[in-house]
Order: sequence, then C-alpha cells, then structure tokens
Amino acid sequence: MSTRLPWIALAFLVAALVHMGTLYLVPRIVMARALDELGAVNTMHAGQPNPFSRSVARMSPDLLYASCPYDLSKGPLRVTAVVPYRAYYWSVSAYDSATDNFFVRNDQQIAGNSVEIVIIKRGQGLPALGNAPERIVLIAPSDRGLILLRTVIDDEKHEAALAAALRQSSCGTVASKTGLR
Amino acid sequence: MHWAVKTLLIVVAGAILGVLVTAAAVRQLPASITNGPWTTSVAIGSPQSDPYTRAAEALHGLFALKRDETIYFTATTDDAGNSLDGRCSYEIRGEDPDARWWSITVYGTDDFLIPNPEHRYSVAKTTVARNANGSFDIRIGGSDRSPNWIPAGSGRFSLTLRLYNPGAVMTTLDPQVVALPTLKRVSCP
Repeated sequence: MSTRLPWIALAFLVAALVHMGTLYLVPRIVMARALDELGAVNTMHAGQPNPFSRSVARMSPDLLYASCPYDLSKGPLRVTAVVPYRAYYWSVSAYDSATDNFFVRNDQQIAGNSVEIVIIKRGQGLPALGNAPERIVLIAPSDRGLILLRTVIDDEKHEAALAAALRQSSCGTVASKTGLR
Repeated sequence: MHWAVKTLLIVVAGAILGVLVTAAAVRQLPASITNGPWTTSVAIGSPQSDPYTRAAEALHGLFALKRDETIYFTATTDDAGNSLDGRCSYEIRGEDPDARWWSITVYGTDDFLIPNPEHRYSVAKTTVARNANGSFDIRIGGSDRSPNWIPAGSGRFSLTLRLYNPGAVMTTLDPQVVALPTLKRVSCP
C-alpha cells in the first residue's frame, strides 16, 4: 500500500493541474475561435454574430447585433456607436480575451444619439482626439477582445430601420501619440 | 514495469482524469441561485466570476452582460422538477418581471435555436399576446399553435429568461421577493 501512495498522489496532482489548466484555457480558446469567426479585426460587422448561425451559443433571436473584434497590438481602437432612433433597448459592451464583460453602456446612459469609445491597452499612447459629443476612454484588460452592439427588435416592422442604424456604427485603429499608464 | 513507463501511464491517467473533471464541471451553466425552475449565478458576465462560471458561460452563453445590465435565468426542468421534453406541452404563466425588457427563448441541448417551420423561437415583452389583466400564458412544446406558442423539437430542451435592465428588487435575485413566471407541464404523450 505504501508503495502505491506516491503514484496515487502523482495521478491526483497531475489531474488537479490539468483541471485548473483546462478551466483557464476553455474561455480563452472559445473566445479566440469566436473572434476569428466574426470577421476582420478592428472592423464593425453589422449582423454578426447571427443568432441563427451556430457560431455563438445562446444568442437571442429578438436582438440585432453588430460586432467589432479588436486587436490593440495594431494601435488604439476608436468605436463610434450610434443609437438607433427610438430604440427600445440598445447597448454597447466590451469583452476581453477571457470573455469577461468589462464595459457596458445602454441607450439610457448616453446623453445624445452616439458615443465615441476609445480603447487602449495599458502603456499604449492615447491617440489625438477631435471633438465628439460624448467620449469614453477604456483601458482594455487584454489586447484582443470584442465590442458588441445590441438592439431589441421590439416590432418586426422596425427591424430594417434598426439594422440600418446599426450599420452606421464603426470601429477602426487610430495612431497613438501620448503615453497613458 | 519500468519506472519511466509507469510514471508516463500515471501522468496520462491523471491528465485524462483532469480533463474529465473539467468536462463535468462545465457541462451546464452554473446555478448558484434557484427560483422555482429558474436558475442563475450572480457571477455571470462579471470579471470577478470564478473559473468554473467563466468556462461554463463561454461554452453555454458567450457574451453575457453583467448582472446590473442583464440577468439570465435558465430552466431545464418544469416546476415539478421533471426535465423539459419537446414532445410534452408546457405552460408558462406570469406577469411582466421587473425589468425594462424581457424575453423567453427555447434552446436545444446544444445551446442553439431549434429550427422549426413556424420560425418561432421566443416570446418577449414587446411581442407576447396578453390576457385582459396584462398577464400572459405562454405555451412551449407539443403542437399547441396558440399565439404565444413556441415549438421545442422532439427531445430535451432548455429555456433562457433574459431580463434587460432589471429593477432594483430583481438584482437582489432573492427568490423570496423576486417573482418569476411559473412553468407547468400540461400534457405529455
């Protein structure tokens, strides 16, 4: 019995390490795969993700989405998020590479009909910024992640107008100038 | 047996055990709070969530929002604790939950929408047919064909209740004060 104990201990030690490692990796692998499937980075894709596709689990068929997979290694990201006219519910949210939702604003938390969101990584210079009605600067926890816009389809008759409004939102890389730490 | 071969076998067995434990731990969304047939976790969407919640959420509900923005309840059983089966007929009864907008959506065991010729997948606050007093009765599964009917295929399924911009009472998630719709099995073939 005493000779078996070290082997049993080794098996449980390996099991514990693999268990913790896979728990850590699962969300990061799922997120990386989703980002790859959602299209070109630092570009807004209206209609993605699609709840009727099989790319992202448990999407809502009652919402329209637009997404911007981002990669801050190419520079800071500027998102211009436009709130659809008379949106029943709209929000812009940000996710890091571990799937955590580190930012969200909805239509009732925005003064006008659009908001500019500048996302940088720690140590990255803040880009030169012009005028914007409302601007939020975020420091992202990871280089890669996702900006996701949602709006409720309150009535099928409004779906085309809501989809058109989502297409007005954009995202793209901007050159950094000053340091922010 | 040579000690190196024995070590390798033990390491492989340990690794397989570790993967199996992870697979079992993330098989379904975490359920730290139960309210009738509805379950949820306070940690969904939060950067403070534990590794188990984060991994399960990635597999079964990617891109969830934080609790103060949206609460996601899941039901895999009816009020009596029986697993939901698309061949049976269920009735969801209730009044508007305390939230700016809500929806109830049917998903298959693979966490995706169940294709159906009627293209019915969900009922929401803005689309539900209401009773005279404002309450609603929603039929799930079977072949009811009523205005609030959602087909659910021919096997196991689950429901997601989304509550966007939940009220202050709702965010407590206290089952003693938060009223959610009931979910009763009406008939089964």
